[in-house]
Amino acid sequence: MHRLPTLLSGIFLVFLTSWLGLVAYPVLGLGRLSPVADADTGGTLPPVYGGQAVAGQRIYATEGCVSCHSQQVRQTSITQTDIERGWGVRPSVARDYLRDSTAFLGSRRLGQDLSNVGVRLPDAAWHYKHLYHPSSVCEGSLMPSYSHLFLLRKIQGARSDEALNLTGADAPKQGYEVVPTAEAKNLVAYLLSLRHDYPLPEAPVKKAGAGPAK
Amino acid sequence: MSENIFPHHHAEEDRGTAETRAVDASVRLPVLVLFGNAVHWLVVASLISFILSVKLIAPGFLGGVSFLTYGRLAPMARDLFLYGWASQAALAAGIWLMARLSGRPLGGILHSTLLVSATVLWNVAILLGTLAIFAGYSTGVEWLEYPNWASAMLLLSFLLIGIWAVLQFDRRANERAEVAQWFLVAAFCWFPWVYGTANLLLTWKPVQASAQGPIQSWYCGSLLALWLLPVAIAALYALMPRLVGSHLNRRNLATLGFWMLLLLGGWNGMERLIGGPVPAWMTSAGVVAGVLFLIPVVIIAINLLGMSAHKSADKNSDVEEGVVIRFLRTGIYALISIGILGALCALPEISGALRFTAVTEAKTQLWILGAISFPLFAVLYESFPALLGRDCWCASLSARHYWLTFSGLWLLVGLMLFGGLFTGLALNDPTVSFLNITSYSYPFHVLECGAQLMLLAAAVILGLNLSRALAWDYLFPKKK
Repeated sequence: MHRLPTLLSGIFLVFLTSWLGLVAYPVLGLGRLSPVADADTGGTLPPVYGGQAVAGQRIYATEGCVSCHSQQVRQTSITQTDIERGWGVRPSVARDYLRDSTAFLGSRRLGQDLSNVGVRLPDAAWHYKHLYHPSSVCEGSLMPSYSHLFLLRKIQGARSDEALNLTGADAPKQGYEVVPTAEAKNLVAYLLSLRHDYPLPEAPVKKAGAGPAK
Repeated sequence: MSENIFPHHHAEEDRGTAETRAVDASVRLPVLVLFGNAVHWLVVASLISFILSVKLIAPGFLGGVSFLTYGRLAPMARDLFLYGWASQAALAAGIWLMARLSGRPLGGILHSTLLVSATVLWNVAILLGTLAIFAGYSTGVEWLEYPNWASAMLLLSFLLIGIWAVLQFDRRANERAEVAQWFLVAAFCWFPWVYGTANLLLTWKPVQASAQGPIQSWYCGSLLALWLLPVAIAALYALMPRLVGSHLNRRNLATLGFWMLLLLGGWNGMERLIGGPVPAWMTSAGVVAGVLFLIPVVIIAINLLGMSAHKSADKNSDVEEGVVIRFLRTGIYALISIGILGALCALPEISGALRFTAVTEAKTQLWILGAISFPLFAVLYESFPALLGRDCWCASLSARHYWLTFSGLWLLVGLMLFGGLFTGLALNDPTVSFLNITSYSYPFHVLECGAQLMLLAAAVILGLNLSRALAWDYLFPKKK
């Protein structure tokens, strides 16, 4: 332990154990998982995201959604409640993240788990309203407003179909409308694409359909 | 041995031998610049943390502005604590301790210039990386949010700085290596490996996301347990003997603690994926490592506390020394606490219930602000008088900094533990709605705000004390 080479080789070998197990193994094992065929639709599982959802994933990353939201439904032997709360119908497995560029597993649940938010809340209009002013649709929510993803503009001719139906204090003044920007549209497309309600070989679905969020 | 390396100093005149003065002079500028920048990032990070805690009780606070949303500020604060403050202070502490322990001055002015340039690079990377998160260019990978070019700059800068610490070990004057030196060599070898691997596989050229979960957890665990904590432990081993006027006995205990800590450190952190989308053996290994991690921690703590038992009768009641030793002692207690808390949180039943609550955050805070920061503060308080050649600290500011950090940290951790326990129990009862759970945590969030304010005040006081010391040195330079 007094000569640098001896100390360095010891340090190297000790470090190699966790590096092999937790870095090399996942890269060579989990990193080579492939999609499985979907017998019902003829496509693959997990399904391929649309272009908007892929762009929305970047917004999810840059806005730091992962600071408060997890994306993992944990195995029932450890905690039953992820599934009982309606956050999913089966535990998440590594293959579920195949199409993602980053696995947003998360470490806090200041907000709800989002693995299946597209199943639970399939309405895009709800998401726009929620992003614009969260506590207007979820009383007591801790989520901040993402109004910077929206545009307040003067109505040119007819009111846009995309304009948000805001009421009360949020409603824009006469002659103005609030519309989602491209970022908001991509983000919502990504959120709606978060559906892991299909069975995978390693994670069969016991009962169909996720219940409402509690 | 250690007593010669860190000689007692009672008066300004006989501060160390000519040898240690030469060593100090050779690393003076880089260490001052590293510590100075580290403290200023600590102030910024504490300010952002305080804003974040206010946002949890009033989500509309500073609302509607893209770059001030919780999702952008939270990773900014975390990264500033990790890379701006802790890693930079660890670099400073590592360079100074290694130079002192090796008993050889860092060769030539060239090295000093190189080190300072690398430090500038490090801080430019932190600044630009922080601004990038601010502007919405975060990678979204937890703890690795800096864009690729910023993380590459950090790695390059670390290599330029860290290489000297390792080379210094090889050039040391003493035949028998000090325990603290092992920890420093290990830490300085690992950061590039850990940071490089994680960035390569998660942000530079991301592997398929199905493999990212374990790598993310491994990175978070290793960054703390294999880079920052070993430097903090090295600081404890280097400074404790000199301050309590004793020497390290039971060196074999230290050897055991060293190798066990290193072996388990890399696996520590996998327990956070319990029940998650990774193979079960990985989380099982994490549980075992998390529980066993208590052993090296206790061994090291006993080893260190054993020294104070042999404290000499000659008590030095110097105020600054009081602060250094208090920071070291609290550091040891925080070290024991992370061992115990880590072992408890590794148990599947506890981890399953509390994993996503404030308990996880409490654990992280106790690591970063407690077991890691306290020994680093001690090195800061110890090194400045030696480097500046005078008693540069304002004693009352130092004492206030200690008490505010001490009470702020334990208050924050306690609140997060209790708050997390409540929300964890509620989360495990599916009849309680999620929004209800949010309302349970409200009182805890209010109190946490107070704790964050204390920590912010502590950081500001340290900043003032440090600016005062540096300004004094600049205005009235000490003649050689």
